[in-house]
Amino acid sequence: MSAEAQEGTRRAAAQGRSGASPAAAPSSRPGRRPGRGRDLRTAVLFLGPALAAIVLLRLVPFAGAAWSTLFERVGVGLLAEQRFAGFANYQQLLSDPLFLGTLWRTIAFNLVINPVQIALAMAISVLLVQRLPGRGLWRVFVFVPCTVPLVGSSVAWGVALRQDGPVNGVLTALGLAPQPFFTSPQQALASIALVASWIGIGYWMLFLIGGLNDVNRELYEAASLDGAGRWRTFTSVTVPMMKRPLLFVLVADTVANFVLFVPVQLLTNGGPDQSTTMLMFDAYRRTYTYSQPNLGATAILILTLIMLAIVAVQFRLLKEED
Amino acid sequence: MAVHPSTRPTAARGDRRPAPRRWVGTALLTLLAAVIGVAFLLPAVWMLLGSLRPGSEVIGSVSPLGWRTLVPDTWTLDNYSALFGQLGFGRSLANSLLVALVSVLLGLALSVPAAYALTVLRFPGREGVFALLVVGFMVPFEAIAIPMAQLFTQWHLDNTYVGLILPGIGNGLAIFNLRQFFRGVPSSLREAAIVDGAGEFRIMTRLYVPLSTTALINSALLIFLGQWSAYLWPLLLVSDQEKQVAAIAIARTFSDTEFNFGQMFGGALLISVVPAVLLLLLQRYFATSIASSGEKG
Repeated sequence: MSAEAQEGTRRAAAQGRSGASPAAAPSSRPGRRPGRGRDLRTAVLFLGPALAAIVLLRLVPFAGAAWSTLFERVGVGLLAEQRFAGFANYQQLLSDPLFLGTLWRTIAFNLVINPVQIALAMAISVLLVQRLPGRGLWRVFVFVPCTVPLVGSSVAWGVALRQDGPVNGVLTALGLAPQPFFTSPQQALASIALVASWIGIGYWMLFLIGGLNDVNRELYEAASLDGAGRWRTFTSVTVPMMKRPLLFVLVADTVANFVLFVPVQLLTNGGPDQSTTMLMFDAYRRTYTYSQPNLGATAILILTLIMLAIVAVQFRLLKEED
Repeated sequence: MAVHPSTRPTAARGDRRPAPRRWVGTALLTLLAAVIGVAFLLPAVWMLLGSLRPGSEVIGSVSPLGWRTLVPDTWTLDNYSALFGQLGFGRSLANSLLVALVSVLLGLALSVPAAYALTVLRFPGREGVFALLVVGFMVPFEAIAIPMAQLFTQWHLDNTYVGLILPGIGNGLAIFNLRQFFRGVPSSLREAAIVDGAGEFRIMTRLYVPLSTTALINSALLIFLGQWSAYLWPLLLVSDQEKQVAAIAIARTFSDTEFNFGQMFGGALLISVVPAVLLLLLQRYFATSIASSGEKG
């Protein structure tokens, strides 16, 4: 299919070259009379649905949430009366050690899990672009889990890491002590990371293998002529050439993991001992379990502002590729 | 970023020549690759086989640990017949499929004209609108799902398919990739068409869209997979079982006090089948678009 599309583009380009008059230089558009006015009308028509969608589905809810952070409820529950409270919600959250713990935990989780996932994905990608017997098969094996939605991965590991589950079965058979995993404050967050990584690593590997295949072969040949070993080739050719795909994948991974919710809600409910409470779950619990929607919205606002900063970086990385 | 997937196989074939190599090294690397591959695959196989045995045996077979822990001694399709029978999982799957497919159609109907206008038309604030659309839609909508769910409830869109579909139709990367692809279409083509009297809509549908199948497939996949794996949004918006999507239906069986792991595994595999088929068939389109090469850097 893609070859077809390629072919199409080439054909079209050829036609374009022969068909266009010499005067039709790429930038100037001769004989386009009404010009800008018409362009603007067409733009409004073509961009209308997308703009309506972003206003109704992103900006309005965001503005509503931002507005509601300035109010507090008199009484308890979702239907209680509201009164203006200024920045009281922010003050309350930012002086709440539980919330600060959540914020810090979310950031720390991302500072660890994203580089680790990308490093592993990169290591596996480099291994699986080598000419090895069965390479395609091993790639598919690593790739299979990322077709499993997060809820499926949560279910699988939720059962596998039970006290009486097969992972502890293997540990016991090896003469090791069985581990508590999701039920231990020390291990629960790492177990959540495993749930996300089982499906995440193969997913990012897909992009990195694409990038690795695009690295100019001649660079490797030059490196090998210069007598560079494998490690030297990796650090001086592969990594610099992969800088942009790696950065992009790292940012995209961060975007995904910052709102990680499913395994927390399904497997640990933020516990034990708050050890797996992260921002997204915190906002959910404040809104629905504790019936504190204004504080929930405040948490959402903080989360969204962090997300916006990360996405802005992602957008710059994309734009730079032009 | 211009996507040239067809160059890729050639590059792959150009892999290091089978120059003399130490056999031991290759063997060790192959062993490593196999171990990693099996480690990733094993939990999925365990789920598959677990869904084909009586639910209680998933945990019951752990001790004594042996090959029977993985391979059932009693094979059964009971879990699947329960899923499609009394658990009504077929309905949830159909809901998921409907929501994802309609989202793709609406999403493309929204993104393609937007990307086209942002490519070929000149108007003040164009780059600003582009940045707003891409960045705005790239922030995962989970981030504002909670206030949005309250809003949708006020709009009486809770427990509706429309409510499930709408938030998933905007995708920042889809708009970005489409515009990127449209920019690769020579502008002289459009000018020639204008001289021939074609309007913008006709130029878009007859010229740009047919030349951009890769970007279209990629955008469709992004939107589809986003909706297919959506969890928080349907959790917040839908309480009616009849309208519920598959991801939540599985979570329900998990949270029920009386779990049957075989059924849960069956459900988890069933919702993986559609993305698996799509991704295995179309992975080229998927991978090429997002993180493109460092070559042009």
